[in-house]
Amino acid sequence: MKRVGAGLLPSLLTLLVCLLLWKAVSLFFPPVILPGPLALLERMIEIYSDPASYVIVGETLLRIFEGFVISMLLGTLLGLSMGLKHDIELFFDSWVMVLLTVPSVCWAFLSVLWFGISEVAPVLTIVLIVFPFVVMNVWEGTKAMEKSLIEMSHVYRADRALMLRKVLIPQLMPYIFSSLRIALSLSWKIALVAEAFGAGSGVGQELINWFQDIRVDMMLAWGASFMIVMVAVDLLIFRLWARRVFAWRPQFAT
Amino acid sequence: MAHVMLRKTARTDTASAPTAVIIDKLSKKFTVPGGGITFTVIESVSLTVGEGQFVSIVGPSGCGKSTLLNIIAGIESYDGGSVTVAPRAGTASHEPRVAYVFQSPRLLNWLTVQGNIEFVLEAQGVPREQWQPRVTKYLQMVGLGGQEKNYPLNLSGGMQQRVAIARALAIEPDILLMDEPFSHLDAITARKLRFDLMEILGRAKPTILFVTHDLAEAVFLSDHIYMMNTRPARIFKEVEVDIPRPRKPEDSVILDLEKSLVREFFSVLEGKT
Repeated sequence: MKRVGAGLLPSLLTLLVCLLLWKAVSLFFPPVILPGPLALLERMIEIYSDPASYVIVGETLLRIFEGFVISMLLGTLLGLSMGLKHDIELFFDSWVMVLLTVPSVCWAFLSVLWFGISEVAPVLTIVLIVFPFVVMNVWEGTKAMEKSLIEMSHVYRADRALMLRKVLIPQLMPYIFSSLRIALSLSWKIALVAEAFGAGSGVGQELINWFQDIRVDMMLAWGASFMIVMVAVDLLIFRLWARRVFAWRPQFAT
Repeated sequence: MAHVMLRKTARTDTASAPTAVIIDKLSKKFTVPGGGITFTVIESVSLTVGEGQFVSIVGPSGCGKSTLLNIIAGIESYDGGSVTVAPRAGTASHEPRVAYVFQSPRLLNWLTVQGNIEFVLEAQGVPREQWQPRVTKYLQMVGLGGQEKNYPLNLSGGMQQRVAIARALAIEPDILLMDEPFSHLDAITARKLRFDLMEILGRAKPTILFVTHDLAEAVFLSDHIYMMNTRPARIFKEVEVDIPRPRKPEDSVILDLEKSLVREFFSVLEGKT
C-alpha cells in the first residue's frame, strides 16, 4: 500500500505539468487543429453520450481481441516448438526474421487486396504483424531455461506432458507475460490502421472520417478515449494476473 | 553407447546382504568436439552398494564423481562395463527408483514445497491417495513439518536442501544418489544437516551412494568408502568404516581414520604428478 502511495505523487505531478503545457501550446492554434485539454474532454463526453459509439468501440475491441488471441496462441506454440525441437528451429528461423522485417503498411494493403473490406482483413493484418514478435519473445525464453531443472526432471522420470506443465511453461511465464503486453499494445495500434484501410467500420474508420473533415479534436478524442480503455485492460487484467502467477517470487508477496 | 541396465526382478535375499547397485568395470571416454582427441574420464571402475548401506566415493573436485552418479541416474551414457540397479528386496518388481540430491537444491521455485514433492510422486506414478501422507511424513522427517504451502524462495539455503532431501526420500528410492549435497552451505548449516541426515538414515533406511571431496564428511557418514583419484577416475582404495553409530565428528576414532586417509590420499595424488 505504501509503495503505491509513494509512486502516485510524482506521476500526478507529471500529469499536471503535461496538461498545463498542452493548454499553453493550444492557445496558439485554432481548436480544430489542436484543442485544449478541456475541449478534448468535452468532445469525449459528446462521443460517449451517443449509444452508437459503443457499437463502434465494440467492433474494434472484438477485432483486437481476435487478432491478439490468435497471435498469442500461434506465437507461443511456434516459439515453444522452435525452442524444443532443433529441426523446427532451423526450418522457421529465417522466416520469422522475414516476417518481422515486412513493413506493417504492406500487410494492411495486402490484406485489403486479398480479402476486401471485411472482418478478415484487419484481424489478418494484426496477426501477421504481432505473432512474429510473440514467436521471437517465447523462443528467446526457451533459450533461457534452466538446464539443471530439466536434468532433475529426467532423473525423476517426468514424462513430456508433466515436464511441459510443471517445468517448461512456468519458466516461460515471464516471457509470455511480456509478450502479452507487447502483443496487446501492438494489436490495438495496428487495428486502428487496418480499420482505416479497409474494414468499413470501427474506431479506425471514425478516425479516417474525421480526418477527411480536418477535425483534429474529434480524432484526438477518439484516439485518447480508446487509449484509456487499453491502459485499463493492461492495469486491471495483466498486472493483477501477473501478481497471481508470480506470487512465488518474494518481491511479489505482500 | 551402453545404457544403464535395469534389473526388473526384485533381489532375492541371500545369506549376505543383497546388493542395490553393482558397477562393473565401468568406463567412459570423452571426445573433444571437432578435435578428435579422446580421453578417458572414468577407467574401469567397479563398486557395489549393499541394500541399506551408506557408501561414499571420495575424490578431488573434477575427478568424474558426478559423471559416475549421472551414469547411474541414466542421464549420461558410458562406453564400457555395466551398471545394474536392482529394486529393494521384498518389493514388487518395478523399474528401479533412483533419487538424486544435487549440489544445489534444484527445486521448482514456482511450486510450493508440497508441489515440489508431488511433482516427483506424479513423475514416478505413485498413486494420488499416497501423496498427502508421503508429503507429511517426509517433510516431518527432514524437520520441515508445516512448510507445505510455503514457496522455496522464502526458505533459507539449508531449508531448500532439506526439501530436496524430502523430495528424494518421498519416492522411497531403491538408490539415493547424493552429489556433495552440503558443499554449497555454510559450515554450521552443513554440520547440522549431516547430523540430521544420520538421524533420517536410522528411520528411512535408504540405500545411499554419496559423493564428496570431504574426507571428514565421508568418514562421519559412511559404512563404506571408495577413494578415487583423478584423470582418469579410478578407485585406488576401499575402506570399511566399522565405527558404531551414533557418531560424533569429534570422536577420536573418526579423526584418526580421517587423518590416515588424508595422508594416503596425498601420497597417491603426489605420486601421480
